[in-house]
Amino acid sequence: MAARGQGGRSRSAKARREFVSEVEEILERMRDDLARLAEQADAGRGSDPEIVNGLFRSAHSLKGLSGMFGLDGMSELAHHLEDVLDGLRMGRAVLDAPGIALFDESVTLVSSTLSKLDDETGREGLEETLGALVARIDAWTRSGAAEEPEAAELDLDPAMLRTLTEYEEHRLGECTRSGKGIYVVEADFEILSFEEGLAELGAAIKELGELISTLPSPGESEASQIRFSMLVASELAVPDLCEQLGVSPERVHQARAVGAPEAERAPAAPVPEAPAEEAAVETSLKSISETVRVDIRKLDELMNLVGELVTQRGAVKAIAAELAQDARTSRHGLALAKVHKTLERKLQELQAGVLDVRMVPLRQVFDKLVRVTRRLRLDLGKEVALEIRGADTELDKLIVEELVDPLMHVVRNAYDHAIESPEERAAAGKPREGRVRVEAFQRGNDVVIQLADDGRGIDADAVRARAVAQGLLGVDEEISDREALDLIFAPGLSTRAEVTETSGRGVGMDVVRSNIAALGGIVDVESHPGRGTTLSMTLPITLAIIQALIVGVGEQSYAIPLNSVRETLLLDPADVQRSDGREMLNLRGEALLLRRLADEFGLEGAAGSDKGYAVVLGLGDMRLGLVVDDLRGQQDTVIKPIQGPASKVRGIAGATELGELGAVLVLDVSALVEDAVRGREAASERTADGGESTSAAPSDADSEREGDE
Amino acid sequence: MQTILIVEDSATMRAMIASALEDLGVAVKIDEAESGFEALRQLPRHAYDLIVTDINMPDINGLELVSFVKRNEAYRGIPLVIVSTEGSERDREKGLDLGADAYLVKPFEPEALQDLVRSLLDRQAG
Repeated sequence: MAARGQGGRSRSAKARREFVSEVEEILERMRDDLARLAEQADAGRGSDPEIVNGLFRSAHSLKGLSGMFGLDGMSELAHHLEDVLDGLRMGRAVLDAPGIALFDESVTLVSSTLSKLDDETGREGLEETLGALVARIDAWTRSGAAEEPEAAELDLDPAMLRTLTEYEEHRLGECTRSGKGIYVVEADFEILSFEEGLAELGAAIKELGELISTLPSPGESEASQIRFSMLVASELAVPDLCEQLGVSPERVHQARAVGAPEAERAPAAPVPEAPAEEAAVETSLKSISETVRVDIRKLDELMNLVGELVTQRGAVKAIAAELAQDARTSRHGLALAKVHKTLERKLQELQAGVLDVRMVPLRQVFDKLVRVTRRLRLDLGKEVALEIRGADTELDKLIVEELVDPLMHVVRNAYDHAIESPEERAAAGKPREGRVRVEAFQRGNDVVIQLADDGRGIDADAVRARAVAQGLLGVDEEISDREALDLIFAPGLSTRAEVTETSGRGVGMDVVRSNIAALGGIVDVESHPGRGTTLSMTLPITLAIIQALIVGVGEQSYAIPLNSVRETLLLDPADVQRSDGREMLNLRGEALLLRRLADEFGLEGAAGSDKGYAVVLGLGDMRLGLVVDDLRGQQDTVIKPIQGPASKVRGIAGATELGELGAVLVLDVSALVEDAVRGREAASERTADGGESTSAAPSDADSEREGDE
Repeated sequence: MQTILIVEDSATMRAMIASALEDLGVAVKIDEAESGFEALRQLPRHAYDLIVTDINMPDINGLELVSFVKRNEAYRGIPLVIVSTEGSERDREKGLDLGADAYLVKPFEPEALQDLVRSLLDRQAG
């Protein structure tokens, strides 16, 4: 092993960790690139030079890294790969299926070598295979390296030519020979903030041709400005290029005009051009006009408009029904109802269309998880395999962004606390390597993200004990394991080590739940001590529009998101039992806890009577029957956050506009169910000017809860 | 204390170079840039006494960085060491042509880099 310095031990330990994770990253990149090259080969297209160059860079890095670590076999193999790839990218050879297979084999072999980093004999066992593979690579390599043909005369600053690497020189030659125009595009930037502008310009150039090289030089004002001279090959002539890039013609220097491809090239086996370049100008122009980048806020505005239209549609429907009932106007009513049907269908299409534009795959978040866990595994010294499924599942862009933190948090918890050390696992008769699976799938109008580990599981008794110790739970209060597990989401449940070690989780899970709740989602936990834990996050596909059940208490209407309504029942007073001030309903043999919405918000309503409906709300496996006076139908609603004192009321998630009903509050189902199941008092007693507490729940727990919001 | 900037896209190589430089025998402060762009951004913010750079990097290559540094009045005097994988004689020649002060081939012995850097820093001081 290298890292031969006498001191700097932590540095070299760090280098070693970096080494493993970096090589893994390189191998992953190589696998991706090879898969893409294989696709291109299967489709009978030539290899994309950028991918081939990427592979070359990977092999090159691999060679350097393994050389520094004294892994000679690996370095030798990487060296041969690099040579072959150099030939490919310089146009001296063509990649075919057997070649791709050889690369695949090499990647696998390097990966096995890496896993035997601490096992010298194991590594020696691989040496022979390595040697054989190197020989086969050499056999595959086609000879016949041709001299680079002389590039045509270019009007280029020698200073620029001097900074080109060999590969860049080769690309310049290729582009010149294929008849492309060669230009130098200049742009000046403030030296302290050049990156964004430069990246934008670079991306625009890549749409129009090839960006061969970027040379920085001092700007007009040397201290504060920087100039970039970009060497560009394109099929466009100067005026078009300037227009497309939005740069003035003075900033573009033409080194060679667009012309016909030069005749017959010297190399016997040229690398075919990339499809993007082959398909010439039409396609590159087309791709620009077919994609638009839009500020997400514009989509929000559009979505709001659609939401308002949806609301108005409800009003039209109501008017049509009213007209239809009166004999004198029924003809118009029916005609309007017909128009309304069409309007409804078209609105749904419009809504779906706008939603679709906002959808992005979860892949971008999952990729981040993969990167973070790779690091974590090394830092924690645990053996964990991360499995990702359903990365193509799509969600609203805003939701995906907000998911990064909570997901990162629970995955980190799983690695940190849930998965045991390899020794512990072996002692418990489990495989040394732990497994964490992150899976996303769509279920109706929701997307479910599940995170399952096969770690130590959560000990419900430990959580219970801790909750009692912290006053979150009465000493005599009996709760099921299920309910106890749910306490890990309670704010203020200790983050102290003793809980996290015994319970496996519990660190900041309240934040995770509130993050998810803010997105209109719910989190649910299931755990089997010794076998593992599964966290499920259920999220709406979009934030913008939800289906809601409208319920009434007295004069007031409330909206309940339909995804948390399990069923509705007409309440039969004979089925309601009272004990300890709690009301329970016998629902098909099971006891369902009842709360009256009127009590929750201190309303007049028909409280006290047993008439009404029970809306059965579900939060994971928890159930609550919410008693209301009447049901007022289902509606599409657009939830909007509310300001002012009402926004502080626990149990209210937001407000919505409901046509003839006016503004209506939307209930926060997870807060209501959680509070009820945990025996907290009604929210009315905790509003800013709330009355006296009548609850047996400890008041310190409540102040904690309030402080959290 | 003298400050050294390491420009290298590989985290492992950065850590190894840093590890070697920490054992120089003289106290140095080490800054790391993981791309050519990042180096360009850091240059005006710090007064570097030496730069160690790779050649093959994704945004601008090391030769371009050398060219920039050596054409800029403010940075021209900073000694510059190119560290790159063996193979391309042309790249090496170009680097030295552009004004790089030394060229070291990877894989290298930490001592080789240490000796080189020590002598360049001495020359700078003297």
